[in-house]
Amino acid sequence: MSIVPQIIINSIIAGSLYALVAMGFSLIYSVTKFFNLAHGVLAAVGGYGVFFFGRMLGLPVMVAVALGILIATLVGWLLERCVFSPLRSRKSSALVLLVASLGAFTAIQALIALLFGSQFLTLAPILEGGSPFTVAGATITDVQIVLVGTALAAFVCVWLILKKTSFGKVVRATADDEEVAKIVGINTHKVIGKTFVIGSMLAGMAGILSGFDTGIEPIMGLPLLLKGVIAAIIGGMGSVPGALLGAYLLGFSENVGVWFIPGEWKDAISFSILILFLLLRPFGILGRK
Amino acid sequence: MKTETLLQLKDVSVQYSGVHALDHVTVTLDEGEIVALMGPNGAGKSTILKAMFGLAPITHGEVLWHERAFTPISHEVVERGIAFVPQGRRVFSGLTVRENLEVGGYANRDKKLTSARIDEVLELFPALKTKLFVPSGSLSGGQQQQLAIARGLMTDPKVLLLDEPSLGLAPKIVKEVFALMQEINARRNTAIMVVEHNIKSLLSVATRGYVLDKGRVVAHGKPKELMKSNVLENVFTGKI
Ligand SMILES: Nc1ncnc2c1ncn2[C@@H]1O[C@H](COP(=O)(O)OP(=O)(O)O)[C@@H](O)[C@H]1O
Ligand SMILES: [Mg+2]
Repeated sequence: MSIVPQIIINSIIAGSLYALVAMGFSLIYSVTKFFNLAHGVLAAVGGYGVFFFGRMLGLPVMVAVALGILIATLVGWLLERCVFSPLRSRKSSALVLLVASLGAFTAIQALIALLFGSQFLTLAPILEGGSPFTVAGATITDVQIVLVGTALAAFVCVWLILKKTSFGKVVRATADDEEVAKIVGINTHKVIGKTFVIGSMLAGMAGILSGFDTGIEPIMGLPLLLKGVIAAIIGGMGSVPGALLGAYLLGFSENVGVWFIPGEWKDAISFSILILFLLLRPFGILGRK
Repeated sequence: MKTETLLQLKDVSVQYSGVHALDHVTVTLDEGEIVALMGPNGAGKSTILKAMFGLAPITHGEVLWHERAFTPISHEVVERGIAFVPQGRRVFSGLTVRENLEVGGYANRDKKLTSARIDEVLELFPALKTKLFVPSGSLSGGQQQQLAIARGLMTDPKVLLLDEPSLGLAPKIVKEVFALMQEINARRNTAIMVVEHNIKSLLSVATRGYVLDKGRVVAHGKPKELMKSNVLENVFTGKI
């Protein structure tokens, strides 16, 4: 039996997870022009939200998922309102904002560990887990199918919002030149807030789906953040379609790569691709110079 | 009939981390006027316009609208009927020409009004009509400047602030820009405050002018008076 279909499926699954993180990260970057590292911890917030509402309180799974997404979104938005926005209005540099976001990441991660312990937990028991499907000789679970579907649906939604709605035009205008956006009468403060809502929602979904697929632990945000950031950079910072392409490129490279070399090298593969891009095409696949 | 003062900076100072960009400056813009701001590079002309939009750190003095002091916050300033076309053809380059105009009409709220307004504005800029769905980053410099001005007109402003609208444009287009200023002013009695390096053309359309140097107003008055005095010459040759 050929292993090729399984590699392709695994690549798509990994790429979809990275895409969910990368799209929100890139979208937020497009309007704020700083690397919001706290983005990663929102995945953990979402995952633990579902654990709390679903496993600890025993709420129905869909309710727990909705509340998990809501909490991740709320935390992302609050960080913008209470930390990043005040810093921006003091004209803090992008570096200051990056450090602040790293601080927020660490603090929230520590809080999660304090509340729930640092052991690895599973979300799967609250699902009526069906048996995995076999497609062309490759296996994929129902959770993984939902993950892939969610990533693609999220991309289509965000893309349509950006291209077709007047809110989307306003977001693109703010991303293009925030000062001129203000000059034409846009309340960019509000626009950035709403962008955080969309981006944080996607990060929460990534954490929840990853939690159902494998499990949750307080430090789960970091690997997701790293892959999301790499995907966003190689796709072109600020471009949502770029983030999607970058994520799948990363997913395929890693999974094809570990076919030839030992699995421990997976991360090395992603970082090599990142360095390659930084050297040869620093503005990424779809980024503008 | 008394003409009303629309917009005023009163005794305003602006400081950028130690640099005095404006030093106790008072400028006014009355109904129906075209007011010229002149002076060498770094004199503080752009800062005057930015201060009116809340985009410069004011450390002293106040901004008045219809003789009432207010704290300028850019999106609220737009809602009062003031538009600003900043220096340097800053179009939203990733947006199409039409999208730029739509975003320019953001403060209109009513989408139908914005659509109708796009048609009106395009009458003033026929060159943009065939480019509506082109990304504005790919327009020529002259067309980008026209788009930037057109975008500023989308809210049908009562006051228009223009920062070096003719900079880097071909002489023929420069003429058109000045003609356009007069047309906009005549059509809707729009008051215009304009920064320009093209002093001669500027003073031929302006009703009043201010000469700035190193963050201070060094002269103001009617174009004829300013032309007669040698203050302009002195300022531009650094004799002050
Ligand atoms: N964002 C800024 N940060 C620091 N200094 C500034 C900034 N903007 C303008 N300045 C300074 O303020 C002074 C006036 O600038 P400006 O109003 O742009 O002059 P003008 O438009 O007359 O050429 C200059 O000395 C300039 O260097
Ligand atoms: Mg200037």
